[in-house]
Amino acid sequence: MISNDFREGLIAELSNLRAFAVSLCGSVQQADDLVQDTMLKAWGNADKFQPGTSLRAWLFTILRNTYYSLYRKRGREVQDSDGTYAQRLAVSGEQESALDLADFRVALAKLSEEHREVLILVGASGLSYEEAAEICGVAVGTIKSRVNRARARLADLLGISSVNDIGPDRNSTAVIRSSPADLART
Amino acid sequence: MGALPEQNEDRESDDDGQDIVLDSRIQDAIGKSLKAHYDDLISAPIPDRLLVLLAELEAKERRDDQQ
Repeated sequence: MISNDFREGLIAELSNLRAFAVSLCGSVQQADDLVQDTMLKAWGNADKFQPGTSLRAWLFTILRNTYYSLYRKRGREVQDSDGTYAQRLAVSGEQESALDLADFRVALAKLSEEHREVLILVGASGLSYEEAAEICGVAVGTIKSRVNRARARLADLLGISSVNDIGPDRNSTAVIRSSPADLART
Repeated sequence: MGALPEQNEDRESDDDGQDIVLDSRIQDAIGKSLKAHYDDLISAPIPDRLLVLLAELEAKERRDDQQ
């Protein structure tokens, strides 16, 4: 018997599950398949959820395990280029961010899965370092060092490793910093 | 000075990343962008197929309960 609390909690977490899934998969289509599988598993194992603990963390663990056991290989075959979903997703409204969201998504998609997931878990989804550690099955210290390294790598990909890069001069700085290979791509 | 340790930034050596400290303004810019990325995804409507699935699960549950 599924409790009302569980059902309502699951509904309330659907948008977070999708956001995490899209961030992992890099494809909206595949993300929805992944969320669907996660919902089925969560529903079938509802009795194993301990009320009073974080439902989001529990659901994210299921989603992540499902992704690594079933989706990752598929994803590699399907993925056509870097930052696919960055282009496919509409960028909505203004955001209060120093960086362009589309640029940011392209860079995020280039990170290793390990780095991307840890940034999303800790930096965006509202989970604690402890919860992220549990979800990923590693120590809290490991999560912390991964976050540091992931941020540094992301800053590198975005060309903002130095403070001068995020000021109003960012565009001109970016051109100066670009290698011929970068310019050829644009 | 011996040979430099092998570069393994994407590998599982961990706990040696603590010393990479970015300027707080860069951290801040990345933090805001992560939020913007995630919040944009969160605000997207839930696709019908997921809501339909949930309704089906609930309907099945009710049927099972009645038996």
